[in-house]
Amino acid sequence: MITGTDLRDRLEHDIKTDRYVLNMGPQHPATHGVFRVVLTLDGEVIVNAEAVCGYLHRGIEKLAEARTYTQVIPYTDRMDYLAAMLNNLGYVQTLEKMMGVEVPERAEYIRVICAELTRIASHLISVGTYSIEIGGITGFFYCLRDREKILDLIEMISGSRMTVSYMRVGGVSEDLPAEFLPQVKKLMKELPAAFDEYDGLITGNEIFQARTKFVGVLNPETAINYSASGPMLRASGVNWDLRKARPYSVYDRFDFEVPLGRNGDCFDRFRMRILEMRQSVRIIEQALEGLPEGPFMGKAPKVIKPPVGEMYHEIEGARGILGYYLVSDGSPKPYRMHVRRPSFINLGLLSELCRGWKLADVVAILGSVDIVLGEVDC
Amino acid sequence: MGDRIFIEFGNYLSGLLALAGAPLLLNQVILMIVKIVGALLFILLNLMFIIWLERRLAGWFQARVGPNRVGPKGLLQALADVGKLISKEIIIPGAVDKVIFLLAPVLIFVPSLVLFAVVPFGRGMIPVDLNLGIFFFFAIGSLSIVVFFMGGWASANKYSLIGSMRAVAQMVSYEIPMVLSVLGVVMITGSLKMSSVIASQTQVWNIFTQPVAFLIYFAASVAEVNRTPFDVVEGESEIVAGPMTEYGGMAFAMWYMAEYTNVILVSAFAVTLFLGGWLAPFGWTFLPSWVWFVLKLYLLIFLHMWVRWTYPRIRVDQLMSFGWKVLVPLSLANVFVTGFGMYVFRGIGW
Amino acid sequence: MFGKGLATGLEITLKELFTPKVTIQYPEERAPLPARFHGRFTLDKEACIACGLCQNACPNRVINCVRTKVDKKNVLTGYHMDIQYCLFCGLCVEACPKGALRFSQDFEMACYHRENVPLVLLAEGDRPACDVSAAGGKEVKAGD
Repeated sequence: MITGTDLRDRLEHDIKTDRYVLNMGPQHPATHGVFRVVLTLDGEVIVNAEAVCGYLHRGIEKLAEARTYTQVIPYTDRMDYLAAMLNNLGYVQTLEKMMGVEVPERAEYIRVICAELTRIASHLISVGTYSIEIGGITGFFYCLRDREKILDLIEMISGSRMTVSYMRVGGVSEDLPAEFLPQVKKLMKELPAAFDEYDGLITGNEIFQARTKFVGVLNPETAINYSASGPMLRASGVNWDLRKARPYSVYDRFDFEVPLGRNGDCFDRFRMRILEMRQSVRIIEQALEGLPEGPFMGKAPKVIKPPVGEMYHEIEGARGILGYYLVSDGSPKPYRMHVRRPSFINLGLLSELCRGWKLADVVAILGSVDIVLGEVDC
Repeated sequence: MGDRIFIEFGNYLSGLLALAGAPLLLNQVILMIVKIVGALLFILLNLMFIIWLERRLAGWFQARVGPNRVGPKGLLQALADVGKLISKEIIIPGAVDKVIFLLAPVLIFVPSLVLFAVVPFGRGMIPVDLNLGIFFFFAIGSLSIVVFFMGGWASANKYSLIGSMRAVAQMVSYEIPMVLSVLGVVMITGSLKMSSVIASQTQVWNIFTQPVAFLIYFAASVAEVNRTPFDVVEGESEIVAGPMTEYGGMAFAMWYMAEYTNVILVSAFAVTLFLGGWLAPFGWTFLPSWVWFVLKLYLLIFLHMWVRWTYPRIRVDQLMSFGWKVLVPLSLANVFVTGFGMYVFRGIGW
Repeated sequence: MFGKGLATGLEITLKELFTPKVTIQYPEERAPLPARFHGRFTLDKEACIACGLCQNACPNRVINCVRTKVDKKNVLTGYHMDIQYCLFCGLCVEACPKGALRFSQDFEMACYHRENVPLVLLAEGDRPACDVSAAGGKEVKAGD
């Protein structure tokens, strides 16, 4: 009688099988743009996944060296183009730290409101595209429908929907328009219901949970060793949110929680984003309540010439810790700029996470890392 | 009166031919050709409508409007799509096996078209009432998998190959629960003939006596036609488009249309087997029988679309284990319970 | 219970099926644009003092303003923008001390020919009245 084990032995010995290489990307529906993964497969099981990036490299760090400090602001928009306000914020705060510029209270509150609005907009894209990657296309459209309302508000403030260039050293470029406040208050009332809708359609779905739970588990030690940050790190249960751990701007005045995951799997990483959006709504509501009157621009010099030296400053971006390193030689142009881009660093974990999972899980894992290629390649 | 309009037309035609002095054989051949053309027209018109319906419903489910520019309410969208696809070149990549590559999209239509021969469209409106109708459906229906594999293999593309391997695995594991679920119906009916299956449902539809079988059949049929949540064969976020990856122009359109033909087909069989076919519910015979058939058909097609635009995709190994570990035992249990129930009811003299 | 999430999903999509759609049917309907919208640029030629600050503020060297010196005063004689390189960041509008350069609400900038892409807000020779060259004006490069 032949048992299952015998059969498997016979299969392994008598039938010649081979691994093959599958080139996923740079043009593939699930790679979020131009990103390539070279997969070595054994049947449908991943033996090795090699990430190849650089297809969207524009040399923004080098371009910055030929521009004045203010002129770099529009370029920071174009790194993580889904969360441009946060990129602006990190950059101008680095300069303010370098030059010791005082930022007025009102400007700080406006910055927090804008940053959290952008965080919600960015997480909405992340949640929506993740739904597509698991195969449910409808969830994406619901997220985009609600993101549109946020983009309308951002457009009302800055004149642009995504590449905002709104923040300046010492404050923001323009005050909030009069019609903004009632609309943002109305939206903050509506958003939690929308998040419930995503929870019902995407998070609560048993098929979705079967696809994502306990898939691509990242334990806290590995996450820290790979220097992961943002929702990716917190999904593994590490409580590290710069807004709480090392508050910048006026974040220490707001009451909010840092959501933490338990298993560090794809489901937790996805869930982190919905929970964070709920917290962002709380922060915005408090910031609107406490929004003081006053100037929106502090006393910053017309020509920005930071003293000779270097400065590193980091903020909690939408995808993790966004750090700016600036070196000044005393001229109006940066001598060197380097950006710690969270998606790039989180992406380093991809091959570690993918190994041993199925082909379909590569898409689930890549989606849960939530990369923006503009930021990865910079 | 509308009920018999197509049959009357057939009788009229045959009478006309007899009057013209055509021999009986020729008379029958011509009548058959008319029937085939009728079935083809039914398929093509419904295809056009279903493609529009799918895109429109997808839009509405997704907070969008959907195609609404071509023709009234966008109804001519499918026509515009076909016009565009016909005018495109069918690109044949260098490494493909040309003959098989081009044969596959032609052959994919064959099983679907053949199967329409046994669909009862209305009272007395079944092209061929085989006494093995249900058996015929499963026998021919599973042929399409060969064509899927042809397309995937000939494309010389790894995504296509993975897709077609998945297609084979999926079809094999979903044919079995599908057949087993229908077995319950066959036991109650005592016949494999389509007309007697419908006749046996005059009192009560099979969906009420066999609810579990209906659910299993529906799940398996969704897998059979490769739609979400069981669309691993062409899961676009993983393997681009599975076996259709390398196809373009009209060759792609053939795959696409065959998919929708299959949706009509499995829904038509579900209507026949579980929803009483062309029988009117509650004795509402004011509508012709074929209208009832089409109404029920579209109810099921709507269900297919609703499910597709709500659920995410299941992973391929989960799909297999769901098929073998859940659906097969469940359908076996259903067969057992049905048999037991029949025995008990016969015992108490129902 | 297994299946509860599946039913909730179906319920949500069914509700959406009957919800009025928010889509704006673009060419017929238009979304309202906010006052600060970053569209095509407009230039108030009379207000412009040809200081060249906009040109210096631009991160991409999109703006080229041609100036002529008349009686020790700069006069604007040409204003070109290579709008294909423009980031629409608004630094030039912000730099303008007289509020002469502004954004308009026009966002439909697609055109059929490449030579139509650059935006000419003031072409040379368009300047009326004072007639710059007759007054013995000399062209100076901005930024000098």
